[in-house]
Amino acid sequence: MHTHQVCWSAARGWRVAGTDAGSADLVLYFGTREALACGTRFRELRAMFPKARIVGCSTGGQISNDDVSDDEICAAALRFKATGLKLACEPAPGPEHSRRCGTALGNVLKADGLAGIFVLSDGLSVNGSELVAGIVEAVGPRVPLTGGLAGDGAAFERTLVGADCEPASGSVAAIGFYGSAIRIGHGSAGGWDEFGPRRRITRSRGNVLFELDGEPALDLYERYLGEDEAKGLPGTGLLFPLLIRDPRQPDHDVVRTILAIDREKRSMTFAGDVPEGWVAQLMRGNFDRLAAGAAEAARQARSGLGETADREGLAVLVSCIGRRLLMGQRTMDEVEAAGLELGARMPRIGFYSYGEISPHAASGVCELHNQTMTVTAITEAA
Amino acid sequence: MNKLFDRQLAKATRPQGGVDLDVLRELVVAAYDQAERDRKRTDRSLSLMIQELDQLNRKLETQVEERTAALREREAELSEQNRRFDAATNNMSQALMMFDGDHRLLICNDRYFQMYRLSPDIVKPGCTMRELLQHRAAMGVFAGDIDAYIADLDGCMARSETMDRMTELPDGRTVHVVNHPMAGGGWVATHEDVTERRRAEQRIAHMARYDALTDLPNRVLFRERLTEALAGTARGDRFAVHYLDLDRFKGVNDTLGHQFGDELLKIVAERLQCCVRETDMVARVGGDEFAVIQAGIEQPVDVAMLARRIGEAVRAPYNLAGNAAVVDTSIGIALAPTDGSEPDALLKAADLALYGAKADGRGTYRFFEAAMDRRMKERREIEIALRKALTAGEFELHYQPLVNVDDRRITCCEALLRWNHPERGMVSPADFVPVAEEIGLIVPIGDWVLRKACIDAARWPADIKVAVNLSPIQVMNQNLVPVVLGALAAAGMPARRLEIEITENVVMQNTETTMATLHRLRELGVSISMDDFGTGYSSLSNLRKFPFDKIKIDRSFVSGLPDDGDSSAIVRAIAGLAANLNMTATAEGVETQAQLDTVRALGCVEMQGYLFSKPRPLDTLMHLLEPQRPAAEAAPAGRVARIA
Repeated sequence: MHTHQVCWSAARGWRVAGTDAGSADLVLYFGTREALACGTRFRELRAMFPKARIVGCSTGGQISNDDVSDDEICAAALRFKATGLKLACEPAPGPEHSRRCGTALGNVLKADGLAGIFVLSDGLSVNGSELVAGIVEAVGPRVPLTGGLAGDGAAFERTLVGADCEPASGSVAAIGFYGSAIRIGHGSAGGWDEFGPRRRITRSRGNVLFELDGEPALDLYERYLGEDEAKGLPGTGLLFPLLIRDPRQPDHDVVRTILAIDREKRSMTFAGDVPEGWVAQLMRGNFDRLAAGAAEAARQARSGLGETADREGLAVLVSCIGRRLLMGQRTMDEVEAAGLELGARMPRIGFYSYGEISPHAASGVCELHNQTMTVTAITEAA
Repeated sequence: MNKLFDRQLAKATRPQGGVDLDVLRELVVAAYDQAERDRKRTDRSLSLMIQELDQLNRKLETQVEERTAALREREAELSEQNRRFDAATNNMSQALMMFDGDHRLLICNDRYFQMYRLSPDIVKPGCTMRELLQHRAAMGVFAGDIDAYIADLDGCMARSETMDRMTELPDGRTVHVVNHPMAGGGWVATHEDVTERRRAEQRIAHMARYDALTDLPNRVLFRERLTEALAGTARGDRFAVHYLDLDRFKGVNDTLGHQFGDELLKIVAERLQCCVRETDMVARVGGDEFAVIQAGIEQPVDVAMLARRIGEAVRAPYNLAGNAAVVDTSIGIALAPTDGSEPDALLKAADLALYGAKADGRGTYRFFEAAMDRRMKERREIEIALRKALTAGEFELHYQPLVNVDDRRITCCEALLRWNHPERGMVSPADFVPVAEEIGLIVPIGDWVLRKACIDAARWPADIKVAVNLSPIQVMNQNLVPVVLGALAAAGMPARRLEIEITENVVMQNTETTMATLHRLRELGVSISMDDFGTGYSSLSNLRKFPFDKIKIDRSFVSGLPDDGDSSAIVRAIAGLAANLNMTATAEGVETQAQLDTVRALGCVEMQGYLFSKPRPLDTLMHLLEPQRPAAEAAPAGRVARIA
């Protein structure tokens, strides 16, 4: 497996590291909505990598090795020796279609030798939990499923996904990796601190939360954010992620990212389900502990590679936009922390997302995460 | 922060070298702003969180207070309930316990301690059933085997059955113990001292089978024993039933009162028990009736000996609080299985034998004979026929005149009852009067006789009386005076023409009622005669009890005349007595002229007998009477018709 990192900036255009990148099988690219929306960058990539599957999405910031940027497009061109690829793309017209969309993707990719799936999904029109459940339903629980939901900075207006086409809203792309040579390591961790009282979800529908302990959820967030920051909702809501937990399974915590608010209905929409009766608790971030969380995710991913950990490969870092909003210029602390764990031979690209997809660190069940750093490390044994 | 500044510096460094200070300033200011925002946010969130937690804390405190108050209230309620429960259980008449599934005592009321005098140091919640039973055994208030008891109890509880037992304690008490399984294991035990109830039940059971006065077995137990004894005859056992009643007992009751009568019965019971062996049985089967089962007899002579012993024992004089009393007994004896193989048959045989003994003149015993049964049947036939005879008009009256010994004029005619049975012909009064007396028919028959005799006499010459015999039962009847008045009125005959003949027995009864009735009749003008004087007690005192108008000297004294010196002495004495007491002496059964001459010589004023006339029907009597009718008297038929 050979990896070529590629990047684009308005000032300098495309730059490719190394030679022979043109024969790549797969190109992953991430950029801001503004940079991708016109389709020019995709067409340029298409010209540069004529044989490759080209898959990308809009973000809340791009990761390229230790750097986090809002201007550049980061990409990686991969050439596999013994791994088959298959690309599937399905429309995602709204959250209520998410499970069906996932099932359709899974059915396209399902085949002997399917070793892993990497998913890039629209970040706003999809219920990530349902999407993951749909794919798992089709391919079974043993296929590792990683990826993330596309971002739109702090705007939460429109996200884009492109799978061998110009990026557009309302679609989900999934890449299937086949064969016995491919190694996919994955890790997921938050590093957020729970704080304040535990609350009960007293009213919700799907991924829309209405009330906590009988009080409108939006009131709570507005109170905690203060008047100024509350104006920045839903983006600023990410500063206080919501930890939820099924009281019947108290060890299985899930963190939810806010996607939208409705000031009239006093409701908040999250990237995954917020079931009634579950326990909810606000979380807050400490920069050092968030960085430590990212390092933990990287450690898990590297250990998943086994003996191939030091071979040439690629690590895709998908981290939550909320972490970046909180950490600001110190966001690079977590990227660096992850890089240190992954090692010098493992180039890294990635993006800040509206939701992360990875198997749960403890249970192994593939699911949507929020406010986490997830790391997908890919190598080939042959 | 150094790392951050390094990054900021790197970003602000121009590609061609040199630092763009504006860029650097912008980055540093932004970092400070962000840090400031973060600090404010942190402050704010922490402060809010503290507020929230504080509110929650207060809410929790309030909740804890409310719940504590509720718990206290509940605790008070429970304590009150416990108090009531304790009061209820400790005031129960039963001992109450509750055990869990491991045989451990959960609760136990005070009554349990009291009932068995148990120690609260041993019997307390948590102690086992076995410890409890061992303690009871040590205190002498548990009878039986502890292991066996627990095994039985376990068996019942395993089958969800109630164990219900009567337990006899070593100290004589009876305790009703019920162990009732509880849902979910364990059981409730109740112990109730039923000693008194048991005794009462036993007393009631005793009363059902024993006579309250004498404490002898009663008729019920007697029959049971009889049935048992009869069962024994299959093995060859033989036994006798003695059936006895007391003669003259009624007299004791009437003269001394019931209290003394009861006392006498108790003495009789004791005496009878002294006469028999332990294997025999004495029972009181009626008012003055007793029965004895004499078991295991070898010879009839054994039976006769016991009967004699009984007779002697009963006949011995009684001292009832200073009052001497004498009673006699008649005994009927039946032998089993010869005389009957069923209790009823045997009793009937003994009863018939008793009847036979009485017929023999009381104070004796008789074995049952088959002939008694026949006679009894005959008697029953008479009884049935008698009940129809009155309405069927089968009775008629014959009359025998009484004549003045001097002028041989008829002074009176005695009415004598005859029963003209359609099949048997003329039946003797001796055969049917005792039956009629026994079944109570003598009263209506006697009434008929009175009325008929009065009607007949009304046709006779006015100086001739009519004499009617009254049975003691009729005299005792309170209705007698109205009946006599009714008969006289119906016949239109003056009372002075009616003579009532009674026997000595009537006077001997000497009850107020009898005497009052006789005096009343005499006041009305009716004459009263003492009939058959000399045959019974012939007590002179009886003559003093009532001012009789006439004494009729029994035929047995007259028949020996004129040769028998004793008879003539007696007749003379009675006639002399009568003259002195201003009574008429009448000799009965005069059949010869010599007898007539003798009785006239001995002082009798009147005579009656075949010499003058045997009893005859009314029509032929009229021939005798007509010559005595004064010419002045009107035709008798017309007078009767006028009155009727």
